[in-house]
Amino acid sequence: MTRYAMVMDTRRCIGCHSCTVACRTWNELPTDMIYNPVLTDGPVGVYPNVHMNHMPLICMHCDNPACVGACPTGASQQDADGIVWVEDAKCIGCKACIQSCPYNARHMNHELGVAAKCNFCKDRVREGKEPHCVKTCHQRARIFGDLDDPNSDVSRLVNSLATVRLLEELDTDPQVYYIIGLGGQG
Amino acid sequence: MREKHFWAWPIASYLFLGGLGGGMTILATVFDLFFNKGDVFALALLVAAACVGLGCFFLIFELGRPLQFWRVFSAQKAILTFGAWMLLILIGVNAVNFSFFTGWFPWSGMAGLQQVVAGIDLVLATGVVLYTGIMLSSLKARPFWNTPALPVLFTVSGLSTGAAADSLLAGIWPFAGTAEEVASVHEALHTLDIVLVVFELIVILLYVIMMYTSSNPTAKRAASRWLSGSFSASFWGGLVFVGLVLPLGLYALGGAAAGLLAPVLAIIGGIFLRFLVVYSDDRRLFTGEECYWERLPKGDEAFMEAWE
Ligand code: SF4
Ligand code: SF4
Repeated sequence: MTRYAMVMDTRRCIGCHSCTVACRTWNELPTDMIYNPVLTDGPVGVYPNVHMNHMPLICMHCDNPACVGACPTGASQQDADGIVWVEDAKCIGCKACIQSCPYNARHMNHELGVAAKCNFCKDRVREGKEPHCVKTCHQRARIFGDLDDPNSDVSRLVNSLATVRLLEELDTDPQVYYIIGLGGQG
Repeated sequence: MREKHFWAWPIASYLFLGGLGGGMTILATVFDLFFNKGDVFALALLVAAACVGLGCFFLIFELGRPLQFWRVFSAQKAILTFGAWMLLILIGVNAVNFSFFTGWFPWSGMAGLQQVVAGIDLVLATGVVLYTGIMLSSLKARPFWNTPALPVLFTVSGLSTGAAADSLLAGIWPFAGTAEEVASVHEALHTLDIVLVVFELIVILLYVIMMYTSSNPTAKRAASRWLSGSFSASFWGGLVFVGLVLPLGLYALGGAAAGLLAPVLAIIGGIFLRFLVVYSDDRRLFTGEECYWERLPKGDEAFMEAWE
């Protein structure tokens, strides 16, 4: 089996927003849509020990996605490899999935009238390529791969380092793992 | 350049109209089945169907792709699909139930059949009233909604606005009975509405206090907006005073004018409630998120215009 997942190494992220731009370009998003913002916390601390924490976001491709169950049309769906995506032709733009996502990973595409989100670049991934944001990240802060493959980078990282998942208490079982450094948020 | 509220006034209006239509139907069918007063409430059934229909119109109009609305009936397990079916069937059954009271159709005199239809109507209307609250309360991402108290609140409000609307419509065409009968129904409905409004007042205050004292900071923030922030005028003035306390006083006062004004105010209270709740869709923000979205261009900057 394949289970795609992403690791965000916040120790390496410098908050350059390259991934955000790459995603918007690759997916030809309208100007008001962002799938993968990079949040900045700080500067925190007292001089000379100040630092900033950057946290890249993305759809968590949850194992128990709230969005899929909320969709009344079957447009929101999850594939066997864990990728959650929206089938445009079936979506009526009711926004139930947007309201159900705790991670703000879904947005309205007002040009098409449908809900839209990151789909882990599923067409690239299934050709053996990396998602565009991962390919672009020159700091290698975004790491993508198959969690079920014990030799993949993501499973090595997740199994050897302490990682944090966002809003785990909501039972969505998110599949994006954060490596937290320098007192960043969890 | 970021939407503040994904669901806004059309959804609030729909939730109000669905609760109102459902509440009206529940009370009309209860008075029909258990007190044999169906004919007094005949018009209320028709108006309730119209309210639900108007609510559905708002729902469809609000979609990103309104012409595709029929797809909402296609999922198997979503609450929304279930609700859409109930709304549609309720409108139809209400219309059929009404037709028995007109005397225009061959089946108009069949009292036994009418009672069966009224029974189905009662079940459906109960489903619709519960569903509006259950739908919002199922959204884990919205702490102010995600509590079983929300369906309770919406149900009580649906019933109290329903009782108010029913009392305004009771005894009008096609009812052909005596004025005494109508007066006794009015009295019963006003007493019932007093009980429901008192109950709603208690539930709404407990709800907001529960959210305000919640350990969830997002729910707390939304509740403090109700109690003393930007929503406080609508909450204290619109919902609590105009929509609940004032009708109570007028009902207690009695008299024909009060009997007309009190239900209208109670209905307005129902509108305030749905708007306040729908606009309390706060999601828990991550550190740095607020400032991230605030810094994005709003769309009216010179460079944005030059770019487009
Ligand atoms: S992050 Fe949101 S959109 Fe993505 S799978 Fe989870 S619930 Fe769905
Ligand atoms: S907006 Fe589209 S994908 Fe989302 S719940 Fe509605 S129909 Fe499904």
